[in-house]
Amino acid sequence: MFLFRWLWNNMKGYRGRYVLAMCLSVCCQSMYIITPMMSQRIVDTFITADNALEMIEQRRDLLIWMVAAMIGFTLLRTVIQYSAAMLYEVSSQGTIYRVRKKLFENINLQDASFYDLYRTGDIMTRMSGDIDWVRHSLSWIIKAVLESVVLFTASVIYFFSLDPIVAVSLLALTPVIFAVTFFLKRRVKPLYVALRERLSELNTAAEENISGNRVVKAFAREDYEIEQFDKKSKAYSEANKKAALTWLDFYPIIEITAQALLVVQLVVCGIFVINGRITAGEFTAFAGLIWTLANPMRNIGTIINDFQRFTASANKIIEIYYGKSKIADREDAVDLEGRIKGNITFKNVSFNFGKTNILHDINLEIKAGETVAIMGETGSGKTTLTELIPRIYDVDEGQVLVDGEDVRMLKLKQLRGGIGVATQDVLLYSDTIDGNIAFGNTAMSEEDVVKCAEYADADGFIRKLSEGYETIVGERGVGLSGGQKQRIALARALAVKPSILILDDTTSAVDMETEKHIQHSLENLDFPCTKIIIAQRISSTKKADKIVILKNGTIADIGTHEELISREGYYREVYELQCC
Amino acid sequence: MARNKFDVDETLESPFDIRHLKRALVYCKRYRGKIFLSLFLSAAAAVVGLFAPLITQYALDVTIPKGSIKEILILGGLLLLSIVTSVLLSVRRSKIMTKVGQDIVYDIRKDLYEHLQRLSFEYYDSRPHGKILVRIINYINSVSDLMTNGLINFILEIFNLIFISIFMFFVSWRLALVIMCGLPIFAIVILIIKNKQRRAWQQVSNKSSNLNAYTHESIVGTKVTQLFTREEENSEIYDRLQNNYRKSWMRAVTFSNSVAPAVDNIAVIVRGAIYITGLLVFGTGTVSLGNIVAMCSYASRFWQPLLNLSNLMNTFINAVAYLERIFETMDEPVAVDDIEGAKEMPAIKGDVEFNNVTFAYEMGPNVLENLSFKAKAGESIALVGPTGAGKTTIVNLISRFYNLSGGEVDIDGVDISKVTLHSLRSQMGIMLQDSFIFSGTIMDNIKYGRLDATDKEAEEAAKVVGVDEFISTLPDGYYTKVNERGSGLSQGQKQLISFARTILADPKILVLDEATSSIDAKTERYLQRGIDHLLKGRTSFIIAHRLSTIRNCDKIMFISDKGIAECGNHNELMEKKGKYYDLVNSGDVG
Repeated sequence: MFLFRWLWNNMKGYRGRYVLAMCLSVCCQSMYIITPMMSQRIVDTFITADNALEMIEQRRDLLIWMVAAMIGFTLLRTVIQYSAAMLYEVSSQGTIYRVRKKLFENINLQDASFYDLYRTGDIMTRMSGDIDWVRHSLSWIIKAVLESVVLFTASVIYFFSLDPIVAVSLLALTPVIFAVTFFLKRRVKPLYVALRERLSELNTAAEENISGNRVVKAFAREDYEIEQFDKKSKAYSEANKKAALTWLDFYPIIEITAQALLVVQLVVCGIFVINGRITAGEFTAFAGLIWTLANPMRNIGTIINDFQRFTASANKIIEIYYGKSKIADREDAVDLEGRIKGNITFKNVSFNFGKTNILHDINLEIKAGETVAIMGETGSGKTTLTELIPRIYDVDEGQVLVDGEDVRMLKLKQLRGGIGVATQDVLLYSDTIDGNIAFGNTAMSEEDVVKCAEYADADGFIRKLSEGYETIVGERGVGLSGGQKQRIALARALAVKPSILILDDTTSAVDMETEKHIQHSLENLDFPCTKIIIAQRISSTKKADKIVILKNGTIADIGTHEELISREGYYREVYELQCC
Repeated sequence: MARNKFDVDETLESPFDIRHLKRALVYCKRYRGKIFLSLFLSAAAAVVGLFAPLITQYALDVTIPKGSIKEILILGGLLLLSIVTSVLLSVRRSKIMTKVGQDIVYDIRKDLYEHLQRLSFEYYDSRPHGKILVRIINYINSVSDLMTNGLINFILEIFNLIFISIFMFFVSWRLALVIMCGLPIFAIVILIIKNKQRRAWQQVSNKSSNLNAYTHESIVGTKVTQLFTREEENSEIYDRLQNNYRKSWMRAVTFSNSVAPAVDNIAVIVRGAIYITGLLVFGTGTVSLGNIVAMCSYASRFWQPLLNLSNLMNTFINAVAYLERIFETMDEPVAVDDIEGAKEMPAIKGDVEFNNVTFAYEMGPNVLENLSFKAKAGESIALVGPTGAGKTTIVNLISRFYNLSGGEVDIDGVDISKVTLHSLRSQMGIMLQDSFIFSGTIMDNIKYGRLDATDKEAEEAAKVVGVDEFISTLPDGYYTKVNERGSGLSQGQKQLISFARTILADPKILVLDEATSSIDAKTERYLQRGIDHLLKGRTSFIIAHRLSTIRNCDKIMFISDKGIAECGNHNELMEKKGKYYDLVNSGDVG
């Protein structure tokens, strides 16, 4: 029932239309019974009646009217049928629109732990294949249930009114259908859950193959990839067969039971006609309406079957739909007044990733406008440390303060809006370069985009591209060299005029000259800005106000370039390594 | 071809024609035995099913007037028998066709996937990955319905139609002609709807592709979205794409849903025409009353298959919109492919030679012009120069990731465009700028370099690059699960794992493209020892910005202006006081 409530909630704005569609399809079902009756009347009056010839001679107008009525009635029925169908479409589309929107928004809010749990291909399955089952549930399953119930009830009443004994003998078969569907439901449910998993695995395998296509080619692993994918594809195919064949094991029982109604009708009504209980005409009437009982019985199987598939998919969607991010605005979150100044304090900060301790008891004070460099060995926690500021992660112990306020107390919008990050793994969108630079500030003017590109020393190479700033870069910035991507990422970070700028290894792939240019522009930005620079090169760090050396998640040393080279330690080692 | 963006429709180059259908039929051919068996079973089921009305008729006309309850029971038994037989036959058929349909879908998917593996970087680089993904998964799933039952039902309904037409003419050719009068109207209506419908469903496939592409990009880029607080704008874009999709869908179903009502109406008009013409126009003399009754029932039997056929056509047109895309992808030319009669590359010694190489991306300007150099087996060559000068391009050409616009690349004197790609690339080790981690264990990721390596060998490789110590601290060690985003791994650690992967491959020619950019200087020094050891006896190409990495190389090439500006070892170039000298001196440390 929870699923229906969930559906109903998401049908907001379309409920009226959906209910109307349901009413119309009920109308339509009853009209389906009426057209054959009209046709029957024409035959009775003008063909089989004793005075048929007379009727044709004298009542031509009646014949034409009756035919016209039959046609008009069908036209009306099809118009209703069409309107109902379109209303079902509109409301099911409206509903999945809402569900998808919610999923999309929710995915964008999720913290890092979400992405360790769900693979891209898996989320893609939920956003495409699973969503389609939600649509199907509204535009077909519920409709079929309604129509079957209406038709079945109507005809049961009709049959009872004609002859209760015949009706009871026909209904005697229904328990069989209920028993079968009960077992069917239990059998197919796990099969559809499994099928859904196989699809997700298939999606993941294909997604990773596409994303990793460079590695695949570099190692000439095409055959291996084909083999791996083939296993997944086969498993999916087998799961499909298994589910379908299981359904087909039950299907004959349901179908035979539904058709056996004809046998019951033949025998019971036949005997009654012989007994004189009913007339031959009534016999024909019963025979003609048997389908109104048989069709709903037949549908139950398909309905149960599809409903199980819908449930398997809907549960997957709901998992994300209601997924809560641990990192979100608190109810009592505040906005700082005006622009963030850029004072940052780490107070006894510790952070664990799973069971692994990444940062331990970090204390660090960064004043507004300062430039702070962070160095340390691979895996010492440099990136994680900076990610605690815009709350990509939350601390496990201690506090991170921005302008004296715990970041967990600030509204994410203001906090993150005030921070510009050039990430290490540069992710660009398949958009123009202009669009990528203005990513964080879409309202920005063209001149500003160019200015940011100039800061990042990217303007020169961008202009050399065939379409300049309008050149479309592929996902992950394919087609650009590593250094070019880094510079676009830097321009993108500067474009938001951040109070705090975090450069995570941003100049590792650019040459020295470019780096010098970038350093110069960073010193001369036209807005106040605290800079945190993670770097491996002494050239990138030596001018910093403060250099922080991280080791195994703790601060091993802090000082200026001069201070640090004057004493033993990591920094001096690196210095000696790089300059001598 | 220009790059495709997530919100730009991909134009379909080949218009629809009967070839798509033929091509789909090729996939059916493999299973023709089973398909014919299914057809036979369906026909048998239909024939047996025909007994039911006959039995009822007989009961009404003969048995009941006779008043024999016993006979009624016998007839009931016969009816049940015919029902059971007919149902069992059709279930048999459905079981066979379910398997066949799934197998066909599997075959198409396999072919598509295999073809995608042969396509070069350019294909993957020129469109959003989400658009490739939907073709492999969603589009192929969409055609499965057509393959499972569409074909057989199509054939059956056609037969049905033919039989009934013959019957009708047999009973009364005049009334049969009246019924047939409905056909042209039907044909016109269907044709009009079909044309619009086809274009509409193509739009749906385009819009769903766009929607999926953006979804995919957004999932991959969540962190960037959050950092730039772009959630609202992205939602707006997503809304726009969703709206486009919904509009295209609604337009398509406007046509699709109108087929059945149209047929219904035509059918009822025809029925009315039979009454009127039969009773009034032809008069009572020409057409017997019995004939009219019979014709009425045949008329509905005639229109039922037509209605079924038009519903099938709906499924078909819908599926074709996807089939077109699938076949289009299968027809995507393989830009970099084995030439006919390509030989296996013999075991590589490691001499590499570029001969007047000219190269441009996708009809763009030349990136390299008349580039020539020689590298002897075992030499280490560093490529330096400004970003975007073409260093990565040069090393990509050694593995033949792209075709040259001019000139030749030889390895051991063999033109690499003449040997099979697999034999060439499997002997090279390339460490890319972006380190990609597959989901699986760390062990799986290292072994990707050499699939038959033992755990011990993989651990050895990890030791060489100095990542073994870190891996050992993880809760599950080498069997720690990681995924494409490399959960919990830093960029440097990912690079080290990719490095171990490359080392395990034991390549004859090694390419390190910014392989150590995210690794700190101290770790790198440790790594350097491993690399030095590794470089012995292999030809290696190294792209790096750190002097410490490049100064010990046998040869340093300064790349700029589409070619080699300077070439020599560190000392030679420093003495020359040219561009390299400036580069080294521009930063006070390298």
